[in-house]
Amino acid sequence: MSGKVFDPKGVLQDVESKFEMFQILNENGEVVNPEYEPKLSDEELVELMTRMVYTRVLDQRSISLNRQGRLGFYAPTAGQEASQLASHFALEKDDWILPGYRDVPQIVWHGLPLWKAFLFSRGHFIGNQIPEGVNILPPQIIIGAQYIQAAGVALGIKKRGGKNVAVTYTGDGGSSQGDFYEGINFAGAYKAPAIFFIQNNQYAISTPRDIQTAAKTLAQKGIAAGIPCVQVDGMDPLAVYVATKDARERAVAGEGPTLIETICYRYGPHTMSGDDPTRYRTEDIDNEWAKKDPIVRFRKYLEGKGLWSEEKETEVIERAKEEIKEAIKLADQAPKQTVTDLISIMHEELPFNLKEQYEIYKAKESK
Amino acid sequence: MTQKAKGMPKLFASVDTSVKELVDLEIRTATDTAELTKDKAKSMYKSMEDIRNFEENVKRFFTAGEIPGFVHLYAGEEAIAVGVCAHLSDEDYITSTHRGHGHCIAKGGDLKGMMAEIFGKATGLCKGKGGSMHIADMDKGILGANGMVGGGFGLATGAAMRNKYKKTDRVAVCFFGDGAANEGVFHECLNMASIWKLPVIFVCENNLFAESTPQWYSSASRTIAERAAAYNMPGVRVNGKDVVAVYEVAGEAIERARRGEGPTLIECVTYRNHGHFEGDEQSYKAPSGEEKEWAEVDPLEVFRQYAIENGLLTEEELDQLREESVRDIEEAIEFTKESPEPSPESLYQDVFAD
Repeated sequence: MSGKVFDPKGVLQDVESKFEMFQILNENGEVVNPEYEPKLSDEELVELMTRMVYTRVLDQRSISLNRQGRLGFYAPTAGQEASQLASHFALEKDDWILPGYRDVPQIVWHGLPLWKAFLFSRGHFIGNQIPEGVNILPPQIIIGAQYIQAAGVALGIKKRGGKNVAVTYTGDGGSSQGDFYEGINFAGAYKAPAIFFIQNNQYAISTPRDIQTAAKTLAQKGIAAGIPCVQVDGMDPLAVYVATKDARERAVAGEGPTLIETICYRYGPHTMSGDDPTRYRTEDIDNEWAKKDPIVRFRKYLEGKGLWSEEKETEVIERAKEEIKEAIKLADQAPKQTVTDLISIMHEELPFNLKEQYEIYKAKESK
Repeated sequence: MTQKAKGMPKLFASVDTSVKELVDLEIRTATDTAELTKDKAKSMYKSMEDIRNFEENVKRFFTAGEIPGFVHLYAGEEAIAVGVCAHLSDEDYITSTHRGHGHCIAKGGDLKGMMAEIFGKATGLCKGKGGSMHIADMDKGILGANGMVGGGFGLATGAAMRNKYKKTDRVAVCFFGDGAANEGVFHECLNMASIWKLPVIFVCENNLFAESTPQWYSSASRTIAERAAAYNMPGVRVNGKDVVAVYEVAGEAIERARRGEGPTLIECVTYRNHGHFEGDEQSYKAPSGEEKEWAEVDPLEVFRQYAIENGLLTEEELDQLREESVRDIEEAIEFTKESPEPSPESLYQDVFAD
């Protein structure tokens, strides 16, 4: 029933149609939106595929290592390769990444040594000691909190006249957080060069997307902050790449932030810390999404161009396994972390109370 | 939005335009078919006069140093509280703000108890322990003024959830300012209210300044009402100096909520006659031009004219209500002056049940 003074339903009628999912490559690896097909070189296309395959192996190995007790906290990434790596592929070396805890692949490809990523998983402080020149922040554990920090980093870039951007990622659950809103609103008000990603993998731990919000899309949350927003097929590496590239150009040109929702799926559990996905989703749903797999469709696309083969893929998989083995060895060599380590890395100069504690633990540790 | 600059990537150019078309940005004014009875018109006008007189007196006593603490005056925004609360009974809830006197009066808060509360007297609504920013009256459904910017969102959403859970047709109204609309809790509560179709009405009193910060400076969005689209919630803008317009729009939103159709976001465009707080120099306000013209629109005069033109009330009747109001406020002041201070022992009361 529409009202007599204002029409509550009419106001919203068109929202859904205005936020259609942007896609370039369909699940069969066919270009359905040729107008937008990016002009990437053969080498670049192969490199992006290599990273996606490599990261799938890294995910499988990380899960095994976690089960063996050789890794600590781990959030599986399989299914999100296009969303994570194609967005990263559109960035430049001097861009800043503010990851969530599932966004380890992006920061590894941005320059964090893999062995450090393993130490992060183990909760070792060395894992969060980022090498000079690698523009990343440690993965954020608080849901959505990185959005506020990204607005701040982006404003800093703007104030310094930088030509780089700040990029951050959260999930569908994160988009309901107040921090999410304050972050995008602040960046919008100051036209800060930021790109905000919502990787909508359909479940906030176990909460399905459609009971997360009444909004038809998560992209439209950008309306509340008055910033451009778009929904993208997050299983389609080309669509994610193009959206990110465009958003980056806007940001660098001083046109402000963009909100990008990538529709994707995680094949694994929320994290390896005891979550059982069979309790909140069915095999049928899993199978539906498996058909949309980003690696499968990109493989078809590249094979069509004569750029990819089984041998090539095997080579990447073997190389990944080898490097992962080396990295875990390096991680094992890190010294055991002590209480005095934790006290001494926090301050340039210790306050008196911590000095006292430092001495107490120093004595205990030397026994 | 002027962001649609040349050279902008096509992908976002199209999105940007669609966002513009999504929302209705018209500022509503009263329609010709507003249904207002003579009694309703009387009580609404009396309530607006009460707020105005109350606030002008509070200002006078605060300037004279007779009121402890801090006060934020509602004068100029009367039409919003009155237009919305005219649809509510004691069974419905409201949450108020730091600028809360108007909401409490419009919702039926006792003038004597309120004045005494602001003076910190033992006879105050909260026994003198709350003061201006913490007036509450549970019997009237007033869940409290709030010193926290955006503090009412969670309370109103929770109260609405209670109403739904108990299967009542009661509603909750959350009053908040344009500044509070930038708070994270706005996002969290509108999202939750919309997904659960809670009977809550979010009423933004956009008086153009968050303290001294104009709205355009603190968000890239043009209006507060359009933000509702992010939650699949209807949003509407209304002339906040026109009590009949507010009454109509709020009536429809409240009816929707009572029918179980969920929340609405209403943006009432208004202006405060005084500073953010008493003592504010207000150097950010425009001395002339469009803003000044808007500032000079008096919601009480707007209603007087409407009532006379539509044959609802005569000038004599309106004047009579005005005099009545002056007398009521004088009585409240007298009552306050005669009231005792709270005893030191009372500090220990009303904190723990046992």
